[in-house]
Amino acid sequence: MGISRDSRHKRSHTGAKRAHYRKKRKFELGRQPANTKIGAKRIHEVRVRGGNRKFRALRLETGNFTWASQSTTRKTRIVVVSYNASNNELVRTNTLVKGSVIQIDATPFRQWYENHYALPLGKKKRQGKDANEESEESKKRSNHLMRKVEARRDDAKIDQHLEEQFNSGRLYAIITSRPGQSGRCDGYILEGKELDFYLRKIRSKK
Amino acid sequence: MSRRVSCEDLVTERSYQKQEAISLHAKGVQKKESRWTREVGLGFKTPREAVEGNYIDKKCPFTGNVSIRGRILTGIVTSTKMKRTIIIRRDYLHYVTKYKRYEKRHKKIAAHLSPAFVGVAVGDTVTVGECRPLSKTVRFNVLKHSKKVSKGSKQFQKF
Repeated sequence: MGISRDSRHKRSHTGAKRAHYRKKRKFELGRQPANTKIGAKRIHEVRVRGGNRKFRALRLETGNFTWASQSTTRKTRIVVVSYNASNNELVRTNTLVKGSVIQIDATPFRQWYENHYALPLGKKKRQGKDANEESEESKKRSNHLMRKVEARRDDAKIDQHLEEQFNSGRLYAIITSRPGQSGRCDGYILEGKELDFYLRKIRSKK
Repeated sequence: MSRRVSCEDLVTERSYQKQEAISLHAKGVQKKESRWTREVGLGFKTPREAVEGNYIDKKCPFTGNVSIRGRILTGIVTSTKMKRTIIIRRDYLHYVTKYKRYEKRHKKIAAHLSPAFVGVAVGDTVTVGECRPLSKTVRFNVLKHSKKVSKGSKQFQKF
């Protein structure tokens, strides 16, 4: 390949040019970047130093995301990359890397919320089907279950920004795993100050 | 003068600055501005600014993710122009056996300066501790800082 991670080719702290006295060694090797895109799952396995494996994700479409304030995690579809602090190119090409802000499908979290708190989340879009559809309030629940749900009601309040995102069906999340190393794209949903920060960044880009 | 990190820097950075060790959204936690600090050990006191301040520095020995182990050295500050790092100079005498005399030698070290230390100027004495490589040349982290003693003062300054 030719990519090496040595420092022998760099000038020293004093500025002296270091003499080239030995060839590149295998333990200094570097590999091509994964540049994980969004699409049907494609993961290549790599044998690394010590006989261990790394899973180079080349294309991913789902990830395991956590809703920290509610302590739930769901596997969700990844929609698009919205912001990357290091490189705008990665946003344009929809490349998944650790630390990039993405949009994920909100439905698993909405379903969990409606089951847990028995409250609707995200405005109902279809008007005509309401009569046929089983609305949350009318669904049959046992007394025991209803008591538990009532007890949880205090925690059901969620931030206004998050509610708007549920309305649109997409949540902003940040990736915390390294897709090119572990082969997975996991992260957490942005909330609070962090969410405000990134929303402002995304808006100022547009 | 060392560069003071203020709240505005938290906004001008491209990614959200936060401490890795703190979960921002855990339920039931709501002490305003929870902050994680650590004791570096070896008798070094963590500065008040580290505990009360607002800065985020992952390379700070008190609020970041570096451990101090190995050598502890002291030196005089020669340059504070870099962002969050300083250059320290250590003077020493080397004995030449043939002539039974000493010669002056010096070594310069780059050390990471946490925003917990405010007002570090050229000429101050500083204690640094060894840590893992933080950049190409930085392997030390400032742990203690004492201002330069001006001439005429009665304090005995050992170096």
